[in-house]
Amino acid sequence: MMLVPVEVAWLCFLFPFAGALLSPVLARIHPGLRDYGALFFSFLGALCSLMLVPYLFHLDKLPLESAFVWLTVPIELNVGVLVDPLSIVMANVVAVISFVIMVYSLGYMKGDPCLTRWWMWMNLFIGSMLLLVLSNNLLFLFIGWKLVGLCSWGLIGFYYKDERKYWIGGPPPTKYTVPSHCGLKAMVVTSMGDVLMLGGILIMYAYAGTLNILELYETSAVWLPEMAKSSGLILLMTSMLLMGPIGKSAQFPLHEWLPEAMAGPGPVSALIHAATMVKSGVYMVARLLPIFFYGYWVSGCIEASYFFIIIAWVGAITAFVAATQGMTALELKKALAFSTVSQIGYMMLALGVAGLTISSLEGGFTSGIFHLFNHAMFKACLFLCAGSVIHTAHSIYMNDMGAIKKFMPFTWIFMLIAALSLMGVPPFPGFWSKDAILASCLATNNYPLFALALVTVVITAFYTTRFFGMTFHGRASKNMEKLKKKGAHLGEVHITMVVACGALAILIFIFGLVGLSLEHFFGHGFEHTLIEKLHLPLEHAAHAMSPWLVPLLSVASVVIGIVPAYLLYFSGRLDPKSIVERYAVMRMLHKFFWNRWYIDSFYFMFFVGGVTKLYTFVPKYIESPLDKFFHKIIPSIPGRLYGSGRDVLASRYGQEVVTEAPAERQPVVGISLGYALLLVLLCIALYLVAMLIRGWLIGP
Amino acid sequence: MIPHILLQIVLMPAIAAILIFLTRYRTGRRAGFIAGGTLLYTTALLLIAANRIYHGEIIFEEYPFAEIVNFNLLADGLSIAIAIIMNLCCVVLAFYSIHYVDHRIEVIYGDVDERTWRMYYTRFFFLFPFFATGFMGIAFSTNLLAMYFFMELLTIIPLYFIMAQFGYSDFIERYKVALMCLFWGVAGATVFLMGILLAYTHTGSFEIASLSTLSGDPVVTWVILLMLIGLFSKLAIFPLHVWMPWVHAEHPTCIAGLLAVYANIAVYVMVRVLILPLHDDFKVFSIPIMVLALITMVYGSLLAMAQNDVKRFAACSTISQISYSVIGVAALTVWSVEGGLFFFLCHIMGKGILFSTAGMLVYMTGVRDIRKMGGLAAKMPITAICWTMGAMSLSGLPPFSTFVAEWIMFTGIFMHGTHGPSIVLIIAILAITAVGLTIAYTFWSIKRIFFGPMSPELANNDKIADPPVLMWLPILLLGVVSICLGLYPRLILDLFHLVLGGIL
Repeated sequence: MMLVPVEVAWLCFLFPFAGALLSPVLARIHPGLRDYGALFFSFLGALCSLMLVPYLFHLDKLPLESAFVWLTVPIELNVGVLVDPLSIVMANVVAVISFVIMVYSLGYMKGDPCLTRWWMWMNLFIGSMLLLVLSNNLLFLFIGWKLVGLCSWGLIGFYYKDERKYWIGGPPPTKYTVPSHCGLKAMVVTSMGDVLMLGGILIMYAYAGTLNILELYETSAVWLPEMAKSSGLILLMTSMLLMGPIGKSAQFPLHEWLPEAMAGPGPVSALIHAATMVKSGVYMVARLLPIFFYGYWVSGCIEASYFFIIIAWVGAITAFVAATQGMTALELKKALAFSTVSQIGYMMLALGVAGLTISSLEGGFTSGIFHLFNHAMFKACLFLCAGSVIHTAHSIYMNDMGAIKKFMPFTWIFMLIAALSLMGVPPFPGFWSKDAILASCLATNNYPLFALALVTVVITAFYTTRFFGMTFHGRASKNMEKLKKKGAHLGEVHITMVVACGALAILIFIFGLVGLSLEHFFGHGFEHTLIEKLHLPLEHAAHAMSPWLVPLLSVASVVIGIVPAYLLYFSGRLDPKSIVERYAVMRMLHKFFWNRWYIDSFYFMFFVGGVTKLYTFVPKYIESPLDKFFHKIIPSIPGRLYGSGRDVLASRYGQEVVTEAPAERQPVVGISLGYALLLVLLCIALYLVAMLIRGWLIGP
Repeated sequence: MIPHILLQIVLMPAIAAILIFLTRYRTGRRAGFIAGGTLLYTTALLLIAANRIYHGEIIFEEYPFAEIVNFNLLADGLSIAIAIIMNLCCVVLAFYSIHYVDHRIEVIYGDVDERTWRMYYTRFFFLFPFFATGFMGIAFSTNLLAMYFFMELLTIIPLYFIMAQFGYSDFIERYKVALMCLFWGVAGATVFLMGILLAYTHTGSFEIASLSTLSGDPVVTWVILLMLIGLFSKLAIFPLHVWMPWVHAEHPTCIAGLLAVYANIAVYVMVRVLILPLHDDFKVFSIPIMVLALITMVYGSLLAMAQNDVKRFAACSTISQISYSVIGVAALTVWSVEGGLFFFLCHIMGKGILFSTAGMLVYMTGVRDIRKMGGLAAKMPITAICWTMGAMSLSGLPPFSTFVAEWIMFTGIFMHGTHGPSIVLIIAILAITAVGLTIAYTFWSIKRIFFGPMSPELANNDKIADPPVLMWLPILLLGVVSICLGLYPRLILDLFHLVLGGIL
C-alpha cells in the first residue's frame, strides 16, 4: 500500500481552515458556490485524513512528525503534526464523520439567511478539531482546543436572535432556555476547565522543558521523578490537567453545559456530540496517559496513579448520572445529549482503568478509543435522524411525536441501527466496544466500577428503547394528528439528509460485522505505539473468568433494560404516567432525574448566584466607599479646614458666616481645592528640580 | 539613512499638530487626514528603525539640553516594539476619529456655523497628535526627567483638554472629571518624580542607566517604592484605580483606546526604569506586586460585570487587564517579563478595538446603557464582528496575539512558582483562573449587546446600521494586526529578547 508523505497531515486541517476563510468570498460570487465550496473543502480534509490510514498497516514507520520552528525566544517551540495510530484514528473519525454531517447540512440548512456564517463556523470547527488531534505539541493542541470551544459558542448560539421556535427546555413549569444563553454557558463552563488545563500544562513545562508530545513521553522518566520530589505537585498538575477534558467532554462535575448545547441546529449537535468537541477531552486523556502510566508503573511516582483513579471514577459516575437523566428527558435531542455524556463517561472509564493495573493498559486504552470510534458513528446517525424527525414533527418534544415510523421508514431503519448500537446489542459496533470496556474494567478487579458500568448498560438500554419507542412507535400524538389534518408534509426530508443518515447506518452495520477484527486491529496499533515505541511495560494477566462472562452479563443487562421500556413505550401495555403517579418512589425518582439531580440548579445558585452577589457587592461596598474617599473626602479636607476656621471666627466674633456655594458647584470647588494640595506637592518637587538645574548652571 | 529618525518620530506629530492649529480654518475636515497621514509616516519610520534594530543595531541620538537634563533618544528592541504598536493604535484611532469627532461636535455644540465647527474640529486634531509625541517620548527617552516631561505632557495636553472639550457629560461634569484625571495623572507623576529626585541625590544623574549604580544602596528601596506608587496610580492598581471608570466613561470614545495605552505604558516604564537597572533590588517587591495585581485582576472583572454603561464596562475591563501585564512583569522571569510586555501591546490593541466598537455603538444608536441594547448583531453585523474580535482578544483566545502573550507570561509565572516560593504558585493558579472571569464578562457582553431580541425602539429605528467604513475598517485592520502577531509572534518577541534576554 502506497504511503503519502507525512506533510499531508497538515492539509487535513488547512483545507477546512481555507474553506472557512473563503466562504465569504465565494458567497460574493454565488451562494451555490459557497455551499458546495464549503463542502468541498471539508471533503478535502476528510480525503487527506483517509490518505493517512495506510500508515496503520505500516506501524514500524510511526510515529512521524513534520514541524517547523515557530518560536525561538523566550521559549523554543517547533510546531507541526504528529502522525501516530491515535492521531490517525482520531483524524479520520473527525474528518469523515464531519464531512457526512456537512452533506446533511446542505439539506437541513437550506434557505437559512445566515449560511455564510454557518459554513464558516462549521469548517473552522472541523479544522480546529483536526488541528487539536494532529498537533505535535501541547500548545497548538491547546490552540485547537480553544478554537473548538469558540466554534461551539458560535454554533450553539447560531440562532442568536433567540426566536421562540428555537427555545429549548420546558414545558412549563420547567424553564425555557434561549440559544444565546446556551452558547454562553458552554463557553464559560468549558473555559474554566480550559484555563486550569493550561495551568497544568505550564506546570508540566516547568519541569519537562518541552511541549512536544513525543519529547514529553521520552523524557518523562527524568522530569516526573523530579517533580515527585515536591509533594503534592503531581497531584496538583493532574487535577488541573484533567479539568480541561472533564469540562470539554462534559464529565461530572462540569457536565451540565452539554444538555443545553443542543440548542444549535441539528448538524451542530451531531458535530459536537459525535465528531468534535466532546471527543477532544477523551483524546487529551489518551494523549497524556502514557506519561502517567510510565510515571506510576515504571518510575514509581505514586501520585501519578491519581490520574487513572480520578478519570476512572469520574467516567463511571458520569456514565451513571447522565444515563439516569436520559430516562426522563422529554426532548429528543436532550435524551441523546444525556446519552452522549454517559457514553463519554464509558470512554473515560476505560482510559482510567488502563492504568489501574499494569496489565490493563492495552485493553483499557483500546476499548476507550474503540468506543469513541463507534460512538462517533452511531451518535452522529442518531442526531442526524433526530434532526430529520424534529423537522417533520415540528416539535422538539417526544410526546409530540409517536408513530412516525410510517411516515419516515428510512429514518426509522437508520435510527434503529444506531440505537441498537448505542444499547450494545450484538453484533453492532457499540456491543463490541462496550463489551471490551466492561472486560477491561472487570480485569482490574475493581468491582464497584464494574457494577456501576453494568448498571449503566441497563439504563442505557432503557432510555434508548424509550426515546426510540416514543418517537417512532406507540400512538400518534395530538401534534402529529394536527399536522396530518393541516396537510403538512409528513415524510422523509431532504435527500441529502436521508443519504447522510443512510451512509452512517451502513457504516455502523459494516463496522459491526467486522467489530471484533477491528478491535484487534486497533489494539495491535496502540500496543505497537505504547509498548514498542514508548517502552511502556506490558504484562498479560491470567484471567480465571470465562471469556463469555462479560458478553453474557452485557447482553443480559441490555435485555433487562429493554423489556420494561418496550412494555411502556412500544406496546403500550403499561402507562408510564400512571406508574409514576401511583408510586411515591417512582415519583420522587422521576422528579430527581428530571431536575438533573439538582446539580444544574445548585450550580446556578452557587456559581451564577455567587458571582452575581459578588459583582453587586463590589461596587456597592468597596468601589463606592473608595470612590467617596478619593473623590469626596480627600477633596473636601481643605474645605472643611476652611469651614472649621470660619466657625472658630464666627464663635469668636459671635457672627454666623454663611456663604454656601450653589449645590451643583460644590463638587468642582471641593475637588479643585483638594487637588490643589497635590499641586502644591508638585510645585515643591518642581522647585527642587529648578534648584538643581540652577545649581548646575551657576556652579558650586 | 534617514537623519534624526527618532527625533522625527517624536516631533513630527507635534509639528503636524501645530500646523493644524495654524491653518485651522483652512484645513477643516482635512485635519484628521493630516494627523493620520503624519502618524502613518512616523509608523513607516518606526518600521525602518525596527528593521535596523532587528539586524543588531541600536539607534541612539543625542540631544543635550543641559548637563544633567537631555532629550537623548534610544531605540532598542524593547522600545521600538512598544513604540510601533502604540503608534499603530494612534494611527487607527486618528482615522477612526475623523467621523467620530464630527458626531461629538454635533452632540456637544449643536448646529454651529462652519467657522466654529472648523475651530472645534481642528482643535481635536491639534490635540490628538500629542498622544503620539508623548508615547514616543516615553518609549525612547534615556533621561528620567525627559520621561517625566513626556508623562506630564500626555496628561495635560491631550488628555485634559480633549476630555474637557469633547467629553460626554454636561459642561461642569466634563470639566470636573477632566480635572480629576489631570490631578490623578499629576499626582502619580509627582510621586514618580520624587523617586527620581531621591535617586538623583545619590547618583548625581538623571540618566536611566545610572540607576544601576544605586543597586545595593539602602535608599534604593525608597526610590523603587516611590516610583512604584506613582506608576500604580497610572496603572490603576487597586485601590488607586478609582479614577479609571470615571475618566474612561467621560472621554470621547475615539481616544479612550489611547487612555488604555496611557495607563498601561507604565508597565514599560517599570521594566525600563526599575527592573532592568535594579533587578536584584526589585525582587523584594515581586510578590506584593503580584498579590496586588491579582486582586486588581479579579476586582476589575467583577466591576466590569456590574456595569451597564458600555464605556464604563470597557474601563473596568482595562483595570483588570492592565494587571495581567503587571503580574507578568512582577514575576521577574524572562518569560513573564517578555510575556507581560507583549500582553501590554496586545491589550492596547484589544482595548482599542473594544472601545472603538463601543464608540460605534454610541455613534449609531445614541445609547450607552447595555440594558437598552440587545439583538444589534442583526442590524450592525460588522460592529458585532469588531466587538467579538475585541472580546476574543481580551479573553486571550487564539489566533489573537493575547493568547501567545498570556501563554508566555504564565509560563514565566508558573516557572517562578514551581521552582520558587509556593505562594507564587498559588498566585499563578488563581491568576490563570481569573482568565475565566474575563471570558465570562466579555462573552456575556456580546450576548447582552448583540444577541437576543431587539428592543422595539432600536428595532424601529431605521437609521441603525453599521457605521461608515472609515470607522470600522481601521478597527478591523487593528484586529488583523493582532491576529498576525498571534500567528507570528517572533516579530515582537525577538525584538524584546534582544534587550531582555541578556539581562533577565
